[in-house]
Amino acid sequence: MTAPNGSTDSAPELPASAAVVTGAAGWLGQNLVRALAPSRERVRCLVRTDDDASLLSVIGPSIEPIVGDVRDPAAIDMLFDGVGPSTVFHAAGVIHPERSVRSLFDVNVGGTQLTLDRARRAGAVRFVHVSSNSPFGANDVPAGRFTEDSPYNPYMAYGQSKLEAEQLVMRSYEHGDLQTVIVRPPWFYGPFQPARQTQFLAAIRRGRFPLVGDGTQQRSMVFVGNLVLGLLLAETADKAPGNAYWIADARPYELREIFETIRAALAAEGLEVTERNPIRIPALVGSMAEAADKFVQGRGRYVQAVHVLGELKDTIACDISRARAELGYEPPTALLDGMRESIRWCLANGEQL
Amino acid sequence: MTSLQTEVLVVGSGAGGATTAAQLTGAGRRVTIVEEGPWIDPDAVEPFSLEEMVLKYRHRGSCATLGSPPVAYAEGRCVGGSTEINSGLWHRLPSYLSEEWRRAYRIDEFTDDVLDRYAEQVEEAQGVSRLPSAPPPSSATLERGATKLGWRAVEFPRVFRYDQQGRGVKQTMARTLIPRAVAAGATVIPDCRVLKLLTRGDQVTGAVCDRTRPDGSRERLSIEADFVFVCAGAIQSPALLQRSGFRGSIGRGLKLHPTVKIAARFPSPLDHAGVPMHRVTEFAPSLTIGGSVSRKGHIALALADSAADFRDALDDWERVYVYYAAIRGDASGRVVAVPGLSAPVVSYRLTDADMSRLARGLLHLGEVLLAAGATELYPSVIGGRVVRRLDELVSWWDALTRSSANLMTVHLTSSVRMGEDRERTGADSFGRVWGVRNLRVNDASLLPDAPGVNPQAAIMTIAARNTDHFLAHA
Repeated sequence: MTAPNGSTDSAPELPASAAVVTGAAGWLGQNLVRALAPSRERVRCLVRTDDDASLLSVIGPSIEPIVGDVRDPAAIDMLFDGVGPSTVFHAAGVIHPERSVRSLFDVNVGGTQLTLDRARRAGAVRFVHVSSNSPFGANDVPAGRFTEDSPYNPYMAYGQSKLEAEQLVMRSYEHGDLQTVIVRPPWFYGPFQPARQTQFLAAIRRGRFPLVGDGTQQRSMVFVGNLVLGLLLAETADKAPGNAYWIADARPYELREIFETIRAALAAEGLEVTERNPIRIPALVGSMAEAADKFVQGRGRYVQAVHVLGELKDTIACDISRARAELGYEPPTALLDGMRESIRWCLANGEQL
Repeated sequence: MTSLQTEVLVVGSGAGGATTAAQLTGAGRRVTIVEEGPWIDPDAVEPFSLEEMVLKYRHRGSCATLGSPPVAYAEGRCVGGSTEINSGLWHRLPSYLSEEWRRAYRIDEFTDDVLDRYAEQVEEAQGVSRLPSAPPPSSATLERGATKLGWRAVEFPRVFRYDQQGRGVKQTMARTLIPRAVAAGATVIPDCRVLKLLTRGDQVTGAVCDRTRPDGSRERLSIEADFVFVCAGAIQSPALLQRSGFRGSIGRGLKLHPTVKIAARFPSPLDHAGVPMHRVTEFAPSLTIGGSVSRKGHIALALADSAADFRDALDDWERVYVYYAAIRGDASGRVVAVPGLSAPVVSYRLTDADMSRLARGLLHLGEVLLAAGATELYPSVIGGRVVRRLDELVSWWDALTRSSANLMTVHLTSSVRMGEDRERTGADSFGRVWGVRNLRVNDASLLPDAPGVNPQAAIMTIAARNTDHFLAHA
């Protein structure tokens, strides 16, 4: 009998001896690759530049970087060339496009389709897809929680692109092409963070980051170490194929709690933190920013600051019960410890906080 | 002014109108069909020829939507409508779509068993079949490329009948349902454009037409009718309704399948008489890949779309074939009749997601053609590089933009829409125009959304269903 993924005998062992990681030099990718490197024969890594390739190569001998564009069929062919039975972790994606909205679709949808196609052809054992909270928009009330059964309600173009990507992944499973698992992380924090997150921590330290509304809106966040754990569990759990899971910290946090915890973490790492309270701006300003964001995105443009401001007024929180029950996921790190680790990483890497 | 009287007036003679008229005459109704275009013997003109384009297409085949980018579209304008000029591919409405439409637009009696029953009837009458022999090279090429990539591809059935020697003839409306309606007593008036429907209170009473006589002279023709079916296609039906004073949702929601093309050069010659019957369905319904009409003239046009130097490829045209990728888009457009202009204004603005989908379609199409052995690919993108190797395809993502894409479509639907959701529909679940007792629409305009495939089967199935409903109620 031929299995859906093209292999001809009983299901190969998991975790697979080889891993394929797209977006490998990204925030999540760097953490994931470090977790995979010691235990896998090969970790094929798709990266954008030669510099990124060198950066990852030093992690260990199992790392095999491929420089290319996730939209490029020839690059994805190379990524899977001779890799053998593998687990694919598809983490490549654009969250904040440099200018045009269309690149969200080109990369997040087009790149996912190509990676799915080549994973199927290469006989990948499992395909773990990194999605987002954005296909679900915001909760109606601060006590609201997304579950795996919540209806789609995509937030702007990014949400739409991640929704379409999820649909491609699900279709691939339904067609019997691949054993897929969708992982939905909310807002990340943790080491290897991009400049925008460092700026965010620095602004909190100086009391310059605005608190939209009264700060009781809730946000699920996920420490990247917790997320890596979730991804590895998604690779092996018997019940996972065909499903999607929310992977976040144990509980959502109120926005004001997030701000206060970051201040506490900065202080605990020996940094001076301003006594000033954060600037408070009314929720209405958040709504205005959201309207402005919709307007410019409707014309194909993207302005990151406006987008972020527009999103801060909402509760975006999820319930991780299903991941607990079906993946055995229990997040070991909570906000204060995770933020302290981020800050130590910044300090060790000469980031300006 | 000449005038005449009929029981049922059918405006348009394409897939919708011919189905309606044949069924009504079969039930003993007195029917008059008016058709804006000419009545041409189906055997007189070679299929897909330049002559056909001049005689049977609206504006000789050159219409385009307003928008960025514009989308060129083709409509049949002759007895038989677009069934005279299309590929004849036959695709029943997929059940997940009928299900979705039934829910979203609250369409009564739109279940699979109802639709399947009518689809079977229509197929039986029309003759729907697969090839009796091996597919021609243009079609086999697509199948070969897909097989190599492990992509799903299927041979679509077509409205064709084959003789003992295996020669196939497309079963157009001018060959099938129009002669049947005429034999049962229907009158067909070709070269007759309906200017306006006449109304009194909540009823239509007939139509005023501009008829061109066989000698070329013109006359006003007034037709009195107890019932009117408007079946003039997704552009002309809403335009006529608007000219007659019906607005509301009519003309909104226009859907089409934006399409990009590649002229692909192969090492050996291909057939150029027909259209490939294979389609790559791996990415359906959001994206479908197939083959286009590829006479020498079509190849020249497709090569020119890339703006590359194509003289060498054109000299070698027998080894060149045109293939396409069509998407189901998020966008919808509008048809607006403008007083004083005979052609309505058609606008359609693609979203960023649609543009991305087109670029993806172009790349996937390139992949399958290279896998099938193509040596040169000319994309329908101005300044798009001529691709010879897989690693060159990636350049098309950024090459295809709103200003560089040459887009076209041959499928236009959804400009009236059917269902009980009065906010979004122009007609009820059976095509009765809201607020008018004896006026129905019965053509592509009723489909609530683009079907992602050739819509002829869906149009005829729905038309047959709605005509039965009429016969049971009027």
